[in-house]
Amino acid sequence: MNWLSFLLAGVLVYVAVAVFLVGTVFRVYYWLKVPRSSIRLGIFPQANSQRGRFLQWARDTFLFLQVLDVDRPMWLFVILLHIGGLAAFVGHLRLIQEFTPLATALGKEGMGQFSLISGGIVGIVLLVSVIYLLSRRFKSPYRDLSTPEDYFLLILIFMVLLMGNHLRFFGHVEVEAYRAYVHSLLTFSPEFPVELAESGTRWVLVTHVTLSNLLLIYLPFSKLVHYIGTYAVNLVRSEAR
Amino acid sequence: MNKTELKTITGVLEQGMNRQLLYYLDVCTRCSICKDACHQYVSTGDVLFLPAYRAELIRRVYKKYFTRSGLFLPSLYEARESDDRLLDELYRSTYACTGCRRCMYYCPFSIDTTWVLGVAKAMLIAAGKGAQILTELAGAAVSKGENIDLFKDIMLDLNKETEKELQSLIGDSKATIPIEKEGADILYAALAGVHSILPPSVIFHKAGLNWTLSLFESANYGYFLGDVEKGRIIAKRIVDEAKRLGVKEVVISECGHAYRVMQYLYETWAKEELSFGVTAMVEIIARLIEEGSIEIPSGKERKIVTYHDPCQVGRNAGFYEEPRYVLNQVASNLRELNPSREKNWCCGGGGGLVAQPEFDEFRIKTGERKAEQIKQTRAGLVVSPCENCRLQITALNEKYDMGVKVTGLSDVVANQLIGRDIATSFEAGQTEEPEDED
Repeated sequence: MNWLSFLLAGVLVYVAVAVFLVGTVFRVYYWLKVPRSSIRLGIFPQANSQRGRFLQWARDTFLFLQVLDVDRPMWLFVILLHIGGLAAFVGHLRLIQEFTPLATALGKEGMGQFSLISGGIVGIVLLVSVIYLLSRRFKSPYRDLSTPEDYFLLILIFMVLLMGNHLRFFGHVEVEAYRAYVHSLLTFSPEFPVELAESGTRWVLVTHVTLSNLLLIYLPFSKLVHYIGTYAVNLVRSEAR
Repeated sequence: MNKTELKTITGVLEQGMNRQLLYYLDVCTRCSICKDACHQYVSTGDVLFLPAYRAELIRRVYKKYFTRSGLFLPSLYEARESDDRLLDELYRSTYACTGCRRCMYYCPFSIDTTWVLGVAKAMLIAAGKGAQILTELAGAAVSKGENIDLFKDIMLDLNKETEKELQSLIGDSKATIPIEKEGADILYAALAGVHSILPPSVIFHKAGLNWTLSLFESANYGYFLGDVEKGRIIAKRIVDEAKRLGVKEVVISECGHAYRVMQYLYETWAKEELSFGVTAMVEIIARLIEEGSIEIPSGKERKIVTYHDPCQVGRNAGFYEEPRYVLNQVASNLRELNPSREKNWCCGGGGGLVAQPEFDEFRIKTGERKAEQIKQTRAGLVVSPCENCRLQITALNEKYDMGVKVTGLSDVVANQLIGRDIATSFEAGQTEEPEDED
């Protein structure tokens, strides 16, 4: 690893994860520090039982079906973006530990095929969703409401996805090499295996990782803090009885 | 804007800060899903009325003065100095809001825009820019509370007239409208004007309730103004009266926000627990019918009747079934608006808009959805248990040529009880109370 890769795809990864975790805790702490108003702000109809309230909360938080009445395309792309994000996260776990039962069932080649297709679809779906959200912001009235933060975040995510997709479709580097890199991170001795170090793909990877780090660092301090805030805020919705 | 003014405004935000507000300021992604939820944005296309933008104005001040990222990178958030132009924008977008909270229903994060605008109103008031008419009306209500002895005799005289009306309506020369009756079970807080006193009087009399009429009107302009202190004092007049008379239950007239103030806001505003129950008029009518205290004579209205869910009665208080249950007792052809219930469009007159002539044109324009919705039902009678809604729909009726009559729930029930056409008005030949109300 040269010094720049070591800095961006090594040291910065630790910094990013640390800032993300500490930042998240800090945000929660900051919220809890402020006294809550005892006024019940919920809206009706409301569930009568605890179980009903929980189900309502889960529906509001994860499905927000009421949006279908007012903006169907937005609902679709938002759902795709979030499911895609979750799928991408799960997919990346393969770089820590191979999904052995699946790999055994499909065989080495089959697993590669499966990964290419499923990961490829997720990558494209995510990219399309982000392009939709971004292009929407250039139109009025969205443009009048948008702040630079909105564009910055979308472009950042767009770049991360672009680099990720490049690695998948044009990288010509086997999964084992990426896994070796991730393992080196996990053992606090960041290193690229020879296969990666000698490939031009290395720079795409470094960019992908660097931008992801930036995103991770900014996440708790941005409007995307809803990754944690949505659970609390949707609970307020059912507070009225 | 000078430093003192700035301090006033940031001070309001600091003092008014609470966890719910902080959530709302932090999690909004400006996705704009709320844009099609707001009747004002839909009718005008003006971003100033887009719910997320209304809250965004406050958010930009918050980012500028209260967050580190806003301090270091103000341009990233368009974090704003709080200048006079901001205050003008705030005024226009904040006082125009009817507080219907339809945007909260559609928001994936359930952001309550009115909660954020509460701070905006407090800022405007602190900067001496509170809505003028609302300030005057709230001031008058506060002063009435302080000088009730001056008003009492006139009110008692007027009540004698109203009592005579009641007696002739129900054919009982001994019927009374009690005022200041100690030991009554129920204190009824009406709106000023006999139209809000007579129909409930008929119902309570027929049900044989032990009730008394409040000296104070239930409407609360302090709430519309966004002045919590005035709002508290105005509501406290009724609370004190209820405590003095020892009633078990305070019934709030067909007035959406008055119920919200008493049921949801007062205890926090005043830091005291209410010693009596708070009941909405729609609730008690349904209860009286259900328990058989009043019997609705047969002979239902056959013409098409529609029901408009007032935002403060439906979405913000949960009374969806009660009014429909009652209406189905008196009318055989109840037709729903589309959409209705929690998805119902705001009439466009709430939030004190009908009391402010500066919004006259605006509320007629932004009521076009409501007019269209009502026309689609082909109803001849619109029932809505909220004074703001009724005044607004009456105005819309004229402008959009809807050809409907607009009335309240207690009106149709009282009419049915005394054998009149359910659409008959309770206003005719009546004397008004001396102050201007709703």
